[in-house]
Amino acid sequence: MSSQRHENTDVPPLTESIAPGTATDPPIGSDEPSTLTVDGTTVTVSASATLIDAIEAVETEDTVPALCHYDRQDIGPRSECRTCMVETDEHGVVPACSFPATDGLEVETAADDAALARDVNLDLVLSDHNLRCTTCGKNGRCELQDAAIENEVEEPRYGVLDDRDAYEPMDDSSSFIQIDRNKCILCNRCVEACNDVQVEGVLRMEGQGQDTRIGFQSEAETMADSTCVSCGHCVTVCPTGALVEKGIEDATTIPLPGFTQKNSIGEAYEQSEQTDGPMTPKKRAEATNEHNDSERSSSHRTDGENDDGGSWP
Amino acid sequence: MIFPTSDEDVLVRISDRNPSRELLDGVAGADCTVVEVGSTGFPAVEPLVSVTRGERTTFHAQCSPEEIQEFVALADDSSRADTAAVVEHDPETTTFPAPELFGLDTGVRRVLGGCGWRRPTHPDDHEAAGGFASVASEAVASLARQLRGRGWGDWRHDQRLIDAWRPAMEADSAAVVVNAHGTTADTLLLSSVPFEVLEGANAAARAVGADRIVVYTADNDAALTVNEAAENYPNPCASVDVVGGPSEYRAAEPTMALEAIEGNHRIEARLRPPGPEVSGLHGDPTLVHTARTFAQLAVAVRDGFAESRLVTVTGDVAVPATVEVPESDTIETALDAVDIDGEFKAACVGGRFGGITTELDIDVAPDTLANADLGTEGTVRIITEDQCVVAFIGNKTQFAADENCGRCVPCREGTTQLANQLRAIYDGDYDSDGIEELVRVMDLSSICAFGKQAGRPTRTAMAAFESEFAAHADGRCPAGSCFDRNFAVS
Repeated sequence: MSSQRHENTDVPPLTESIAPGTATDPPIGSDEPSTLTVDGTTVTVSASATLIDAIEAVETEDTVPALCHYDRQDIGPRSECRTCMVETDEHGVVPACSFPATDGLEVETAADDAALARDVNLDLVLSDHNLRCTTCGKNGRCELQDAAIENEVEEPRYGVLDDRDAYEPMDDSSSFIQIDRNKCILCNRCVEACNDVQVEGVLRMEGQGQDTRIGFQSEAETMADSTCVSCGHCVTVCPTGALVEKGIEDATTIPLPGFTQKNSIGEAYEQSEQTDGPMTPKKRAEATNEHNDSERSSSHRTDGENDDGGSWP
Repeated sequence: MIFPTSDEDVLVRISDRNPSRELLDGVAGADCTVVEVGSTGFPAVEPLVSVTRGERTTFHAQCSPEEIQEFVALADDSSRADTAAVVEHDPETTTFPAPELFGLDTGVRRVLGGCGWRRPTHPDDHEAAGGFASVASEAVASLARQLRGRGWGDWRHDQRLIDAWRPAMEADSAAVVVNAHGTTADTLLLSSVPFEVLEGANAAARAVGADRIVVYTADNDAALTVNEAAENYPNPCASVDVVGGPSEYRAAEPTMALEAIEGNHRIEARLRPPGPEVSGLHGDPTLVHTARTFAQLAVAVRDGFAESRLVTVTGDVAVPATVEVPESDTIETALDAVDIDGEFKAACVGGRFGGITTELDIDVAPDTLANADLGTEGTVRIITEDQCVVAFIGNKTQFAADENCGRCVPCREGTTQLANQLRAIYDGDYDSDGIEELVRVMDLSSICAFGKQAGRPTRTAMAAFESEFAAHADGRCPAGSCFDRNFAVS
């Protein structure tokens, strides 16, 4: 499992087959509280804190977006976006979200190298992001949008992802969750929510380089073909419009007749069959096999969309 | 060690990466002892057959199965000087007595001393060379205060080893990883002198109290050899496992090596700090050093501390060669070992993402190389006049964009944007400030050495070949290779 040590010898069997595709990060931080200074202000943080905890506790000179930072429910730090770089007296430029807080460390947010790194890295995130905010359901409640506004990004150095030929099809196959990978910043929160919190083992990180993407551990191409149970945790942690709840996917879009997020992208995987509840057919079959009770499943198959029980174990 | 016992006794060594059955059969029935030894690091002369009689060894380069019988019979015939060289030496030498031919006498032979001379998996040969001696852990730790890690696969790359040993010394359980993934020199050591590597790993394991050693390589033949050597190792102080890894370049990064050893199906870098020295293999404090580092440690334990560097010269050369160069010698020294195919233009010094330079009169010591913005990886790639430097680094950058693990933005998106910026030069848009800014941020903020180093070829090439970059922006390629065909990146 990501960000957890392999020290639990008695993990439940369920987790042994979970393969999120991410590295086993080391545990971070000390056993004791530490006192350090951020931009000249002294601050004390609790045990196993990182520099971001100290930064969030004071008024800093510069904004530190820390875009991919989440740090709730054991999710993160992934330290992927590197928009939290700060300068330290002892270790040079370091990522605040994942760097352990230690006694006596002096942190500067406005140092040239750190400020440059945050700025360039935020632009690099934008370079691979579909910036059609007006048709995005997360318009106005998007962490990337917030970071870009707060950092006064006017014209990202490397442009934005607006090549329609380069877009991945939108995955609209599930009745509950819509995936638009063109808005994904690969923060990995959804993968950890799915695997480490919900222990469902549906989502994973896959690929390398520009092909890195959020995929399915079942090798499925679409959400409908995956083993998703539609718990929605991935949606609640997503910082952008990459994972949104169906029904409110266009909640905050500007009403332009005939122009939607979906047709702005072009291709989409559509919902292809009648839904039998939150579990996908594959998950239902899996759950059924586990309980060796195929009849129960098939009896539910005709229950229609409003049945929310399915063959819940 | 096997030595000729009398003047009539003839010992024939066949030195090659993989000697063919035909060659061995070719000498069958001759009145001599035939042994297989590993590569010398000079594939150009291999299969190299050496015939030893008393204090005299005759070497025959590129020996064919048809020739071997005749060579052995005529070993004393000095008229065969075209393909043979004769060396007089101590009859019981355990170090390859390099003839003054073929570039085989380039540099020194300390770590490489046994290559092409000792049988790789016979402990007797290593013992005769002074190996397997018991050494106090304090002495090993003392050497770890001086010795620096070799190569980007070493968690102490260019740094003294000792600081990364302390957590393991204090822990109940610790591991040692021999990272032999990726470089020609590490593979050569595993194949030709595996006991040097294993002895260094054992010495380190004993010094820190580690209970297991894992040898990690992507080379199947080397894995088989080192596994056989490990089985023959007398009184090892820790268990030894040989683990194969994926062949991707990035899989040599120390934390990605740990991911591969632990069996992750997808290989990406781990966060740090803390590094593997605190939380490594299965969460235990772990020493991750390259085969080169461990072999240096073993030789230093035996012969005393004297830094030398293994350098593999490759690129536009007839046949690549791996030589050992004292740190006080220059990169130029290593070039004596190869035939350059054409006129020398530049070299990429320090591995896949090394620095581009036209100046080779630079010591191979890590500080000197770092000051020149060159790498210490140990690989020197020769570029000849007919090659375009802009295309050369364009290919490297595209490789970085395709092969990075995908974890962090400065590397994943940075390499892609850098490749775009380099392509833009071909359209007349040479934004050198923008390129320098991006390369700087990749170096400052990438998680691992892959992203930190990926911009070095571009940075150094822009400094050394400014006019070539400007020429490309004007639609001209001084090497004449870019504009009459598409700038194909592969």
